[in-house]
Amino acid sequence: MFAGGGPAYSAGIDRQTLSRRTRLVALASAGVAAATMSIALALPGGRVGQAVLFVWISLSYVSCGLLAWRRHPAFGRLMVVVGLGAALSTLAWSPVPLLFTVGQALDLVVVVLFLHVFLAFPAGRLSGPARLLVGIGYAVSIGLQLVTMGLGGFGPGNLLRVVDAPRAADAVHTAELVALSVLLLAGVAVLGVRRAGSRPARWLVDAFTLGLVALAVLLVMGVLSAPGFAVVQAVTLGVLGLAPVAFLAGLLEARLARASLGELMVALRAEPDDLSPALARALRDPTARLLYWLPQYLCWVGSDGVPASLGESATLIRRDGEPVAAIVHHPSDDALLDAVVAAVEMVLDNGRLRAELRAGLAEVRGSRARVAEAGRRERRRLERDLHDGAQQRLVGLSLRLGLLETRLDGDPDARQAVVEARAEVATSLAELRDLSRGLYPAVLSAHGLAVAVESVPAPVPIRLICEVPGRLPEAIEVAAYYVVCESLTNVGRHAGASSAAVSLRLAGDRLLVEISDDGTGGADPDRGSGLRGLADRVETLGGTLRVRSPAGGGTRVRAELPCG
Amino acid sequence: MLLREGLASLLTGAGFEVVARCGDASALLQAVAALAPDVAVVDIRMPPTHTDEGLRAAMKIRRDFSRTAVLVLSQHVEPALAMTLFADSAAGAGYLLKDRVSDVAEFVSCLRRVAAGGTAVDPVIVSSLVSRARADDPLAALTPREREVLALMASGHSNQGIADRLVLTLRAVEKYVSSIFGKLDLPATGGESRRVLAVLLFLRR
Repeated sequence: MFAGGGPAYSAGIDRQTLSRRTRLVALASAGVAAATMSIALALPGGRVGQAVLFVWISLSYVSCGLLAWRRHPAFGRLMVVVGLGAALSTLAWSPVPLLFTVGQALDLVVVVLFLHVFLAFPAGRLSGPARLLVGIGYAVSIGLQLVTMGLGGFGPGNLLRVVDAPRAADAVHTAELVALSVLLLAGVAVLGVRRAGSRPARWLVDAFTLGLVALAVLLVMGVLSAPGFAVVQAVTLGVLGLAPVAFLAGLLEARLARASLGELMVALRAEPDDLSPALARALRDPTARLLYWLPQYLCWVGSDGVPASLGESATLIRRDGEPVAAIVHHPSDDALLDAVVAAVEMVLDNGRLRAELRAGLAEVRGSRARVAEAGRRERRRLERDLHDGAQQRLVGLSLRLGLLETRLDGDPDARQAVVEARAEVATSLAELRDLSRGLYPAVLSAHGLAVAVESVPAPVPIRLICEVPGRLPEAIEVAAYYVVCESLTNVGRHAGASSAAVSLRLAGDRLLVEISDDGTGGADPDRGSGLRGLADRVETLGGTLRVRSPAGGGTRVRAELPCG
Repeated sequence: MLLREGLASLLTGAGFEVVARCGDASALLQAVAALAPDVAVVDIRMPPTHTDEGLRAAMKIRRDFSRTAVLVLSQHVEPALAMTLFADSAAGAGYLLKDRVSDVAEFVSCLRRVAAGGTAVDPVIVSSLVSRARADDPLAALTPREREVLALMASGHSNQGIADRLVLTLRAVEKYVSSIFGKLDLPATGGESRRVLAVLLFLRR
């Protein structure tokens, strides 16, 4: 039943599976055949050691290429080509002139194939300077090799010989080897520049790029006919043969990263407040961060609205040509980044709006604090002016009235008038004193909270506990002082209390100010009574003010001020 | 300045000899060192910062020039600052609200008392100390008359001064005082300025 009623597309799947299997078998067989051929060619010439190395390389690249093919066709294919190319170059060991000629022509192409595969990892494609390097490499390794052969290089089996000019052939071949080793070193430099740094598998691959350096050294040694060539060749080929394993590990890593992209999508759907942790996980880069561009502030901010700098490496996300956000990350050339950007773009707007809101809030908070600070400075100045001006003059005036009074013993009416005037001045002085105290408690700046609070006029008997050793920031001291003053004023005006308690103490980095009374309660912070202004003052400093005032249960004002 | 000149003419009129008038704390300290006056009248706020130079100068005079008594004048009532001034001893020290200068007779009497080694504490400071809430308030055991006597003692008045003010005999005042000391469990110490400090410390604790 299952076999008979299959869906219509099953044939397509079968064909695909079939072709994949055919390809696998065919290429694996080709690899094995090529390896066998290498050994067969090597046996007569006694090059078994060399042959083993070439077989090792061919089989390693072909098999790893086949393993990678399904998920990474471009890179898998490239690895298979490298493996087969390495095997084909052993044709140069053949006594048959045609095979020898083909093998010799391909001899140095293998070197460029190695360069190609390292530069193309992991995408399988080349771009920018890497593409140029590899292009030049192929041109040099084929072109100059053919010229060398045309000039009669590589001995009698060379079918491409046109003229017999061994010296010219040698010169061209030397130039070719030097050019290729320079290209190899340039390739290593390109890899060094774009190294991602944070991923283990990349490191592994980077380590194997040392194989390219060894290869360059090997070519130069060939030119100089230096001793130890065979040893260096063995080490180099051995290392290059291990590289495919590193490639596989790197590709697996990329696959894992792509799986984390799925996690990122899930995380983004929940619209987290801060997208950065999800981004960092997806990119496997703990330093990765999402920043938003706020054109009205001309700055980049994090999700918390705090300005941040883009740093060295960032990927901009634009909308209508204008930057809206950026992912700050380690230098990386990964296609994964494109996918992450695409995912982030979908949920960008809400996050950006939130960041904008926070930045605005921080701005408002900042300006509120600045306004409060300016107000405090102004009040301080006014209090000083009052003290040195009006209050001093009034004291002087009352003193003169007092002196006058002593001289008017003989004139009771005039004396009475002066006494009354002196009383008036005394009242004015008392009012001014209250006013200036309300403006700014001068004693605070010199002596601190404990001294200032002790002299707050109390409308009812007060139990005062002040456990604040040392000094706090001036703004905090002033705010705490006003909380006490204003609350005690309220106690006198509204509470109908017979006693009150004031306590100031430090709890960690917060100052707790509490004023409680045994009055009638029922105070409403929203209805005048100065409590609203007090709350504003406290909140400006990042503190909180709570009022508990149940009817008939007394009133308790509690302020918490940060003083760290 | 205005106040300083007025004060100088008040004191001259009252029979004092004004030997120096100073604009700031260092001039004051120099004058005290040079002239060794009986008493210095000091504004608590002086140039340059107008915070507590006067108080610091007063403390220095009390420490280094004990021959000179100090009367501190302040725009505000600061019990803690008064207690700072009296930290070691209340003898030859006073702390009054500036306004008190207008009651010439009272001011002059305070100044004479301080100059003679006594004490003057502003009544507002005393009443703010007396009105504090206390657990099991020992002051509750005092009669209204005893409270009056206590407040006058704390202001620095002698028994005779209290007797004059309350129109009592000296003996009656002495009886009240010993009764107060008994009820508050204070040691009946010798000198009057020590008595002032003991009472103030009791009221402030």
